[in-house]
Amino acid sequence: MSSIVLDRVRVRVSVDGRPAPKTLLQELSLDLTERRVGVIGANGSGKSTLLRLLNGLVAPSDGTVRVDGADTVRSVREVRRRVGFVFTDPLSQLVMPTGREDVELSLRRSIRNGTERRARAESVLERFGLLPLADQSIYELSGGERQLLALAAVLAVDPAVLVLDEPSTLLDLRNRELLRRTLAGLRQQVVLSTHDLDLALDMDRVLVVEDGKVVFDGGPAAAVAHYRALSAAGLPAPGGGPAGGGGLDLRGGGLAGGGGLGGGGLERAVPEQARLEQS
Amino acid sequence: MSSHGFLLAAYVPGRSLIHRVPLWLKFLLVLGCGMASFLIADWAVSAAVLAMLCGLFLLSGAGPARLLRAVRPVLPVLLAIGAFQWWQLGAPTAARIVLNILVCVVAASILTATTSVQALLDGVASLARPFRRFGADPERFALTIAIMLRSIPFVAGAYMDVRDSARARGLERNPRALVLPVFISTVAFARQTGEALAARGLGEPEDPED
Repeated sequence: MSSIVLDRVRVRVSVDGRPAPKTLLQELSLDLTERRVGVIGANGSGKSTLLRLLNGLVAPSDGTVRVDGADTVRSVREVRRRVGFVFTDPLSQLVMPTGREDVELSLRRSIRNGTERRARAESVLERFGLLPLADQSIYELSGGERQLLALAAVLAVDPAVLVLDEPSTLLDLRNRELLRRTLAGLRQQVVLSTHDLDLALDMDRVLVVEDGKVVFDGGPAAAVAHYRALSAAGLPAPGGGPAGGGGLDLRGGGLAGGGGLGGGGLERAVPEQARLEQS
Repeated sequence: MSSHGFLLAAYVPGRSLIHRVPLWLKFLLVLGCGMASFLIADWAVSAAVLAMLCGLFLLSGAGPARLLRAVRPVLPVLLAIGAFQWWQLGAPTAARIVLNILVCVVAASILTATTSVQALLDGVASLARPFRRFGADPERFALTIAIMLRSIPFVAGAYMDVRDSARARGLERNPRALVLPVFISTVAFARQTGEALAARGLGEPEDPED
């Protein structure tokens, strides 16, 4: 299994009109060695930024990110060979008119011979059940087929790590199930962000991100329960104002109350989360 | 997006004679037609060349519908040019100019309808290979052409989407409501494409050992 190490990483961006840079990700250190790692959190919490760090699409403002020892800034080419990235919307990722051509495009660097490349592309498409659709326009495919195709195009070059940014967001129930099964069958290390809590429960380790900070890091059931509690705490109460008077009420259905919590779910709980009441 | 699959990027898989013609010959055909459009002085010759090219297109098995889809987007422009030229220089000249433009469009369509993007990439990359000694990267050059081909139908599709939403809001006569959103979505598309290529490690400088 690959090793992904984030060492005191922070991401900040300058925003026009603001005197100080905006912090997208607060300082965090992580060592991701599990086969399946999930990242959950609200929209704009920093999930995508965290994932983009792993492929070098975002460079850390401070600290380093290493994938199997390769620095994502200094050795970005090597990192991108190791880490495949799947976007939420497959149409932003598929750059060729048909599936066959897109998979062939992925293989251009590694296989120079056209016939060999074509054969390899066909075998990749066949593996994902996409060969009958190989010559159809990507715009004629369903959302699920496009997402599978995007996955196939990335996996064609056999990366060691697969990073997926909310891969099931645009999919219907059937296609989500198809994606879950496909991901479960991959030999690659998978790191994904998702709003699909069923998918998150399939992971070995789940990080909960809130306001650019990892507020929970542990088993999937505990992480999902924590996220539910966090989300419920942020909702306005029927009478106005946040539920629980601005703090977190973790008693019913939350962390303490069980709600399907497996034992040992809090084993890697981040210390800051204990101070959630303050935020 | 309402429509992306037309115009130049519409490759029709097949094994016809036209499909099997070497790429350089198809390039030559497009180049020749482009040059001929300046040289042909008689509209009847232009019409004959156009008829021959349409015959070649149909021989490829791509079908008349695909031919029509390739030509249709330029028809309003041709109509405007034709009308203006007729008024300025008379019917024979207007017909010659319009037919010559159509010759170029159909010739380009024969190339793109019968050549897969990968084959085009290979062709462009080999054409650019001699320039390697001057620091050019043939693969990046070929990729640029491929992205350009893909972008044309995207921009056309974006225009159609924007036009539909402008119509729905009763703004179809407002040029700003048409141009600005197309411009913004095109820029966003360019950024997304760049990011997708970067994430896949495509378009980066070649390895020294390559």
